[in-house]
Amino acid sequence: MALTLARRRTGGAAPEKRGLPAGPLALALGVALLAALTAAVAWGATSIPPAEVWGVVWRRLSGEAPRAGTDDLIVWQLRVPRALLAALVGAGLGLVGTAVQALVRNPLADPYLLGISNGASLGAVAAIVLGLGTGGALGIGLSGAAFAGALATFALVWAVARRGGGFAPLRLVLAGVAIGQFLSGFTSYLVLQAGDEQQTHSVLFWLMGSLGGANWQLLAVPALAVPLAGLWLQARARGLNALLMGDETAAGLGIDVTRLRRELFTVTSVLTGVLVAVSGAIAFVALMVPHVCRLVVGGDHRRLLPLSALFGALLLVVVDIVCRTAMDAQELPVGVVTSLLGAPALLYLLDRRLGSGS
Amino acid sequence: MRIDIENLRVAYAGRTVVADAHLVAAEGEITGLVGPNGSGKSTLLRTVYRHLKPAAGRVLLSGTDLRELSPARSARHVAALPQERGSDFELSVREVVAMGRTPYKRAFASEDATDRDHVARALADVGMAGQADRRFTALSGGERQRVLLARAFAQDPDVLVLDEPTNHLDIRHQVELLALLRGQRRTTLVSLHDLNAAASVCDRLHVLHAGSVVASGRPREVLTPELMAEVFGVRATVVDHPLTGDPLIAFDHRAPAGTEEPATIRTAAG
Repeated sequence: MALTLARRRTGGAAPEKRGLPAGPLALALGVALLAALTAAVAWGATSIPPAEVWGVVWRRLSGEAPRAGTDDLIVWQLRVPRALLAALVGAGLGLVGTAVQALVRNPLADPYLLGISNGASLGAVAAIVLGLGTGGALGIGLSGAAFAGALATFALVWAVARRGGGFAPLRLVLAGVAIGQFLSGFTSYLVLQAGDEQQTHSVLFWLMGSLGGANWQLLAVPALAVPLAGLWLQARARGLNALLMGDETAAGLGIDVTRLRRELFTVTSVLTGVLVAVSGAIAFVALMVPHVCRLVVGGDHRRLLPLSALFGALLLVVVDIVCRTAMDAQELPVGVVTSLLGAPALLYLLDRRLGSGS
Repeated sequence: MRIDIENLRVAYAGRTVVADAHLVAAEGEITGLVGPNGSGKSTLLRTVYRHLKPAAGRVLLSGTDLRELSPARSARHVAALPQERGSDFELSVREVVAMGRTPYKRAFASEDATDRDHVARALADVGMAGQADRRFTALSGGERQRVLLARAFAQDPDVLVLDEPTNHLDIRHQVELLALLRGQRRTTLVSLHDLNAAASVCDRLHVLHAGSVVASGRPREVLTPELMAEVFGVRATVVDHPLTGDPLIAFDHRAPAGTEEPATIRTAAG
């Protein structure tokens, strides 16, 4: 995707400091992502040297017989899937955040605003509390229930938002927020009905987001959905740009606005559903990642989409390292760390931008 | 290229806003659309740049029904400057102007020399060549409007459609923008609130009243005291502009038509 990035020219009478070229930036982020993935696999309760990490991965990928021992198990069965899940979910959240912000024409929008994650949460919590999932364990049963909840909510929001024609941004947000609140009322009720402390704990943990359920099987759907959605969005980057200026402007530029909105809403909802189903409702990443990237490379989606995906992936891999290693006795929910680190970072960036008077 | 609007009816939320409108924008001319608030000017223009679909009738681009063309194809011929002013998404001036190339680009295609050429020329045409890297939302109202006009120019259209382009601009920026339009000599369809601006800039005027075109012709033929009273509800007289010789409409700002000298108005309206 980095190849399609448009080159930015700098210079002019009143340059603003968004002059970072997107190509080298994408390359740097890619290298950082590889390093972070390596660290994520190497670090943990048992430390494994990076060379051994890549050794295990190489032997597995080249079809050599894996060496017996715990390293192979830890690296290949536990940490690699988890690190890859973190990268995929982070990339997906970066993409879906960027897309939803264009969809509802608000740079502070969040995919969770459209109610989809509330539906997914209700599905997941119902599975845990009512025992619909596989014994309450984090697994495919739980993900399936979460995804079903997301799709049902999507259908509901769609039905409300399409009336009056055209999926107008405000209508979409209002429908999403209202339906989302309605569903999260149910979720809270179910949490209170949870049978025992263990159930309550796993529900809360899931609601705050976790990558602990990672395994190779769980990776399959996001590994397909995230790149496909990324390509789909990248192909419509100019249409997204046009939406930022307003529906009439976009129509004048030859965009079928209603159709683009309808498709965008569908793609972002399905992708949100996939992400929430495998990782819970991770807070703040989808809001912050596009926003930060926009401050650095500007608002053109042809650059913004790939950079948001890369930065989201990097961020979530790093955050998950923190979650796994910050405390000895237990893991932190991902959402706790994204909020605690993300909010001050965003405030700092905004403050710096306002301070520079641009 | 020219625009012919035939029997156009547009309904909005179940209400007919434009009814049976006929209108011509001739090749290379500036055609003005005037009328009171709510007379259907914006609605009519929105069907030309395909934001709204006509309920009946046709919009013809040199004889071809616009709806026979794909949205992107017709956007290569017709560029619009709606009343929207964008939102804060960290777009630079150049990025906003480059959006004008959207109807020419396939998915994944990057900008080529032709695109850069059009963008640079459009920026130069509106006098913003030195400001290309500024943030769009950091511009003043007049600068923004010029950038949005440059975006329409970059679309390299045969027909320009502008909805109240001088709104919220101070008088100097109004004059500059209208002079820019005159200098372009493209087929232009523009709605204007300011009747005096319309009288000096437009080659031909169409007057909209309650969704219908009630008068069409040269400004001097159309903008009569009788029409001012009937359509706009004001007392006015038309004189020659002392500087330019264009029609100059002098309004009576003290009282609307009909509140004074009812006998005169009845004659005028009849």
